Amino acid sequence: MTFIVRQIATTADGREIVRSNPFDSDQIGIGRSTENAIHLPDLAVNPDHATISKREDGHIVVESTSGQNFTLDGKQRVSVTIDPADGAELGFGGHVIVVGEEEGQILFTVKRVEALSDSAEDRSESTLYTLEGLLPGKRMSAWGFVALVLAAFLIWPIYTWATYRGVEERPDQFHADTMWSSGALSQAHHSLEGDCQACHVDAFVTVTDKTCLTCHEDDAHDHAKPNRLLTARGGPEGFEKIGAAFASAFNKPPGRCVECHTEHEGAGAMEPTAQKFCADCHEGMDGRLTDTKLENASDFGLEHPQFRPAVLQKPGGKNPPRKRISLDEKPTEYNGLKFPHDMHLSKTGGVAQMGRRLSAKYDFGPSLVCKDCHTPDPKGVRFEPVDMQEDCSMCHSLAFDEIGGTIRTLRHGEPDMVRADLRAYYRSTRPTRPINLGGMKRRRPGGNNDVRVASDYARAVQFRPSRANLAISEVFSRGGACFDCHGVTPPTARGRVDFGIKPVTQTDRYMHKGWFSHEAHNDEDCTSCHTADTSKDARDLLLPGIKTCRECHGGEFQATSDVPSTCAMCHDYHADEGAPWLMKEQQKDKRKKPDKKIAQR
Amino acid sequence: MASNAVASQTGRKKVAMHDGFLKHAGFRWLKISSGIMLVCIISYIFIDVSPRHNGGSWYGYTLGTIGALLILWLTMLGVRKRAMTSGSWSLKAWTSAHIYLGLSLIVIGTLHTGFQLGWNIHTAAYVFMMIVIISGIFGIYFYATIPDKLSDNRDEMTETEMLENLRSLDRQLHESAQPLSAEHATLVLQSLEQDPFGGGFMRRISGRYPDCATRIAQADLRRERAYQPKMGGDDPLDKVDALLEKKEATLARVRRHLRLKAMLQVWLFIHVPMTFALIGSLSAHIISVFFYW
Repeated sequence: MTFIVRQIATTADGREIVRSNPFDSDQIGIGRSTENAIHLPDLAVNPDHATISKREDGHIVVESTSGQNFTLDGKQRVSVTIDPADGAELGFGGHVIVVGEEEGQILFTVKRVEALSDSAEDRSESTLYTLEGLLPGKRMSAWGFVALVLAAFLIWPIYTWATYRGVEERPDQFHADTMWSSGALSQAHHSLEGDCQACHVDAFVTVTDKTCLTCHEDDAHDHAKPNRLLTARGGPEGFEKIGAAFASAFNKPPGRCVECHTEHEGAGAMEPTAQKFCADCHEGMDGRLTDTKLENASDFGLEHPQFRPAVLQKPGGKNPPRKRISLDEKPTEYNGLKFPHDMHLSKTGGVAQMGRRLSAKYDFGPSLVCKDCHTPDPKGVRFEPVDMQEDCSMCHSLAFDEIGGTIRTLRHGEPDMVRADLRAYYRSTRPTRPINLGGMKRRRPGGNNDVRVASDYARAVQFRPSRANLAISEVFSRGGACFDCHGVTPPTARGRVDFGIKPVTQTDRYMHKGWFSHEAHNDEDCTSCHTADTSKDARDLLLPGIKTCRECHGGEFQATSDVPSTCAMCHDYHADEGAPWLMKEQQKDKRKKPDKKIAQR
Repeated sequence: MASNAVASQTGRKKVAMHDGFLKHAGFRWLKISSGIMLVCIISYIFIDVSPRHNGGSWYGYTLGTIGALLILWLTMLGVRKRAMTSGSWSLKAWTSAHIYLGLSLIVIGTLHTGFQLGWNIHTAAYVFMMIVIISGIFGIYFYATIPDKLSDNRDEMTETEMLENLRSLDRQLHESAQPLSAEHATLVLQSLEQDPFGGGFMRRISGRYPDCATRIAQADLRRERAYQPKMGGDDPLDKVDALLEKKEATLARVRRHLRLKAMLQVWLFIHVPMTFALIGSLSAHIISVFFYW
């Protein structure tokens, strides 16, 4: 016996069955074909794959007959020589043949080591039909995402914040904390877009007024004292308490600039103050701020106090005393002038007639109108003070002499000069010479008359300068040029003529807390608001009351009114002398818009 | 009679053995969720927040808090699902609530944004949330439609049986291919050695296996034998051909099964990791808001 072939098969339950066959031949075949001594039922094996032959020296030669490889100890070979005493492992397809020696005989132990097919291999059925292994695990990617997101969205921005603490201005580059920005900043703050810390200075500390005032030191004065503001606003009500609870829980004090000036609302101009903000405090304010002098206001159309213009108490001086009086109390104002508007605006009578006579020269109409005397200021908002020279002297002449065709007038506004001029006039002129003192006299019978005339004239010449006092008195007294319009203070002593003119103060703006532009109301007649044509006295305050305004202006939500008006149309939170912010913005918009074009037909 | 009929009807309703997570308790959670959404939308319209709606108003905080807590609770389904119980807080009730409350998050979350979206982490959190919800909607759709298809496809075979079926066919193929020539045997061997469960995710989800060795083997064998005269008798190739055809049919069934099961699972591979991305970005969103307060 030369070779022993021992086939080991494994049953389904894992038991091994061993069958041994001796072959008494010097050469045996290996292959899938059943004729071979070593029959390998393996599709990877050629029907006649190789032969094994025994050499004289006891070595065996394994040689491929099919040209297909086999393995020796895992290495691909076509032909090998093996010493059975050393042993070896040959591999054919899914089978291994272990070469060995047993009791002087060469033993081939044949065993299938690879599964017959892929599906036959052991498999964990719990995961076989799942996506496990095909996609990154859910747990892995879940934690991965958490780490990634936190690193990118939280740690990196915080690192940026920590890096630039106390730095005046950040360099112009990407900063991770800008990822936290909930929206673009308004136009005015656009340059701060990359510099979160310009406003957000400390962690978990809200934006304070101090940071706002770093830049806005001049243009952000308080609307009222902060503590009074808070009192006026009152505590949060209803659902507002939720917001307030959040605010107080997270250290967000009320009444800061940013409460109204909300940022990160998108590029463009900041939104105008909503009426709600005004009404938050001014609606029912007297209930909260009990000592306030202000009346409640919530909406122009529904709840707004009567106007309270600053009425002049006494004319004269740089800052004459004024007092805010409601128009309901029908206040009057003495500004130092006499001026019956009705007489001047009357379509009939002397004034109108005089106007007509002068119309060629001064462009008057059939009767005088407002604009003949009142001149708008350059912006058209209010009116220039009435100027005697410019606006009155067309009719109210101060002429007193004519020299070579030049009219001499009294100096307006300078009573001393008026007196001096009149005195000079009387000193330097003679009374009109009676014609019968001349050579061409017409003689009348008797010589006495001549003597009387001559002596009368001589006396007149002598007393001529003293006539000045009388003239001065006349000018300053009833019927005189000054007295017509001005209040006159009497002389200091009997016989003296040091008359004085009472001071005059013309008010250019009555309502300093609100804004009114005449230009915006160009389409209206003056008399639709100012009842000047029936005013007999200059003391009449010709300001229209709120009722007049409400004929056109309704509240913000009165859509049916001609002009739904918010608070911001007339009022400003940080008011200055100029127009409210809203109106300025509207003017800007108007300027930007192209001129309207008439559609082509 | 009529009252009897009514009684029997209601009686039947009560004992209805199976209503799915969608119909659970007569659409209880659908009703609750619809109510929540309606309240949110109406209050959003009618509550006047100045200057305009955003996440930072009291209304925004309220919606944000509700939304964040809801997200955390919805995430808890992942823990809850590992303990099956019955009753009114059964897993099915939880799932039903999870689905409908999750859907209501679309409204709560969107209104919380006040429609102010941008390239920032706040919107990132919103986007993650929407991805989670949309993947969840796909999940609902798959869970509602696929089990029927799965069942039709399985034809009362279990997964184990499918595997055994394949193994058996492979054994038979192996056996029948023994007399074949080396070239033919190689073709069959390729079929045997190809992993019927391999091929990667795209093959699995599409159900397309262009390099199916079984089909190639069968096609090659048939192409070769197309013009050969019938030899009569026992041509082993005839048997191999028949077995390959059987195997292909089984593979088709297995692959349909795998595809359907993949669809049942794949949305979770987005849903779950994105939930965690959402929780991460939600934390960043909340912390950042208070950080730059």
